[in-house]
Amino acid sequence: MKCVLEGNGVKVFGKAVQALSRIGEDLWLDPMVKGLALRSVNAAHSAYACFLFSPMFFQHYSLGSGSEPARETIKCKLVIKSVLPLFRCLTAIERNVERCQITISTPTDRVVIQFFCKYGITKTYSLRFQESEALQAEFASHLCPNVLKAPARLLSDMVLHFPVSLEEITLSATPLRFTLRNYHEAGNDHMKTMYTEMSLHPDEFDFFQVGADSDVTFCLKELRGFLSFAESHCLPVSVHFAAAGKPVCFSMEDMVLEATVLLATLMDSENTGPSQPVGPPVPTSPRCADVAALPVVSHEGNSRESQNAPAVMELIPSSQGSPMINPPALRHLLSTADDPHGPDVPDEASAMATPASTMICSLLFRALASEQDDDGCDVSLPVLACYSDTEDEMEGDYTRSPSLLISQRRLNLPSPGVNTWDSARKRLF
Amino acid sequence: MVAKCCGFDFSGNESFKTTECTMPLSTQSQADDEKYVLVASLDNARNLSNILKAITFKDHAIFNATPNGLKVTVEDSKCLQANAFIQAEIFQEYTIKEDVVGFQVNLTVLLDCLSIFGGSTLPGVSTALRMCYRGYGYPLTLFLEEGGVVTVCKINTQEPEEPIDFEFCSSNVINKVILQSESLKEPFSELDMSSEVLQITMSPSQPYFRLSTFGNSGNAHYDFPKDSDMMELFRCTKTQTNRYKMSLMKPSTKALALSCKVSVRTDSRGFLSLQYLVRNDDGQICFVEYYCCPDEEVE
Repeated sequence: MKCVLEGNGVKVFGKAVQALSRIGEDLWLDPMVKGLALRSVNAAHSAYACFLFSPMFFQHYSLGSGSEPARETIKCKLVIKSVLPLFRCLTAIERNVERCQITISTPTDRVVIQFFCKYGITKTYSLRFQESEALQAEFASHLCPNVLKAPARLLSDMVLHFPVSLEEITLSATPLRFTLRNYHEAGNDHMKTMYTEMSLHPDEFDFFQVGADSDVTFCLKELRGFLSFAESHCLPVSVHFAAAGKPVCFSMEDMVLEATVLLATLMDSENTGPSQPVGPPVPTSPRCADVAALPVVSHEGNSRESQNAPAVMELIPSSQGSPMINPPALRHLLSTADDPHGPDVPDEASAMATPASTMICSLLFRALASEQDDDGCDVSLPVLACYSDTEDEMEGDYTRSPSLLISQRRLNLPSPGVNTWDSARKRLF
Repeated sequence: MVAKCCGFDFSGNESFKTTECTMPLSTQSQADDEKYVLVASLDNARNLSNILKAITFKDHAIFNATPNGLKVTVEDSKCLQANAFIQAEIFQEYTIKEDVVGFQVNLTVLLDCLSIFGGSTLPGVSTALRMCYRGYGYPLTLFLEEGGVVTVCKINTQEPEEPIDFEFCSSNVINKVILQSESLKEPFSELDMSSEVLQITMSPSQPYFRLSTFGNSGNAHYDFPKDSDMMELFRCTKTQTNRYKMSLMKPSTKALALSCKVSVRTDSRGFLSLQYLVRNDDGQICFVEYYCCPDEEVE
């Protein structure tokens, strides 16, 4: 295989390599008649990405190289660590590189990437590859009941609000609303987490079809690279998903390239009710390992593993290392927040009937502490964060709840310590 | 190795080196001036510290002062030598009472002293330097002033070692190129550090001038054609390929970063000479050169 990229194409290709490096450690190069596919999958087979560049993307694209006729094309696997440095500094590439030629040389087991730069300077990299079966994930996107399409910018902006360290995110969709929130489960140490939730009205999307209400939880880290690529390309992103446990597919395409990211989702993403006993945290290795694995077909992978998500998973501690609060209290708080009439299984997605505008809501545990003391939660909740701006407002309450209080507009909490919605929002963003 | 700092003067008098100055330290140094075999002054100490940073890969440096100027040498494992040349004309004052004045100091300590005022990059604010040496057995005395504040540093000196003579002479040079540093900066910063050697190929025919690395993931070659705009001089008579230990080549990256032009020469033994043309803050020219022994000869 031999292909030549020019000018901006090199930068786009580099960006794809960067996005793929966020997924797995290996990069599969699969030259086909319909184009060159770059693929990667993570170790747990819970994330898969594919960038397919059509022959039109290249200045020159041919299977077989020169002396060799185009026989069955070679599929090679490279270590991403050896390819990434070549495309690490995209601004330098934009400045200096005029042309890039990629050749797969079978006799020497090498992929040769040549950069023809300004002033006649040539950079030639000869990388070892392993011959491998093609890696391909099967996903019937046409069978998904839920399909959304949004500008990449919209999704990037939403994701921006979640901490960079956040591993998993829950996407909830009903015909009336789309919500992203960080994934959490009842557990001893889940008080260390900051919860963030963002909702969008269907009007914000280019296309919004939710055939079946669903909550899917997947790994966010692996998606970020793809979103960054889509944003730089200014292309809309399509999201196909179904029920929890089935993979979610993010894709984008234009005339010359198609990019897809398939992420496995947790089998059971429903939050437990307040009566759920808090068991000991189940030690887990990478969280995403426990999700239903993607049906990835590959030479070496195991496919079709389905595991149940453990009841309790390790949570990401907040940067402040906030002390823990008795989980049942939290469960209680949240449920009361959503439904003043009594504890219930909180499903934040349905609990909020929001106005048709973006609503950002961050709930910190102590938010409603003043309401709860009567309900029998006699846990003395420690201070989580002090909001110096409003110390005056809170003076009266200082001994009881000197903590950062943020509330949703509809809760109308009477406590004088509660900040107004606007000031809370300004504080955060 | 001790740098002793003493004396703070807040007279606010900016002109540190003129004789009209009323600062007590300066008056004292006037009397001592007669005793110094070497006095070198700079309005901007960065003109010295920047160029010294380009050769700081080892702690110790050999200073060799002649009426022509100052030469500072740093060596590593008898295979690598770096020299920085600061001509007498660069200094605002340069007085030497002997033909040759030599001593050895801890270069790291010297650089710390030169930037004792924090190395501010505000325009118009610079540290003035007056470097004085009384001779064998005496410390190197630095008077540093910025904004009216004076610091005196005394750095212990040692018996200077004899720098290695790499016996690199122009008549023995087989291949020579002069490149604009801009074109080399990127390849050098990207060099695959997992490669043990940096291979330099110079030839009158393709690939003309090539840098190669052999790392864990594969090979990389950087080719510079002889007619490139970046190639100011191309004089190669014979194809030569030499390898140099990567660990020895890496320090030269600092000199490359400062320079605007670099000359690369190899002689019949495969010894490498890199000469860097450095412009200081005031646009004056200084030179840094590196000599390196080949790792092995590859034809």
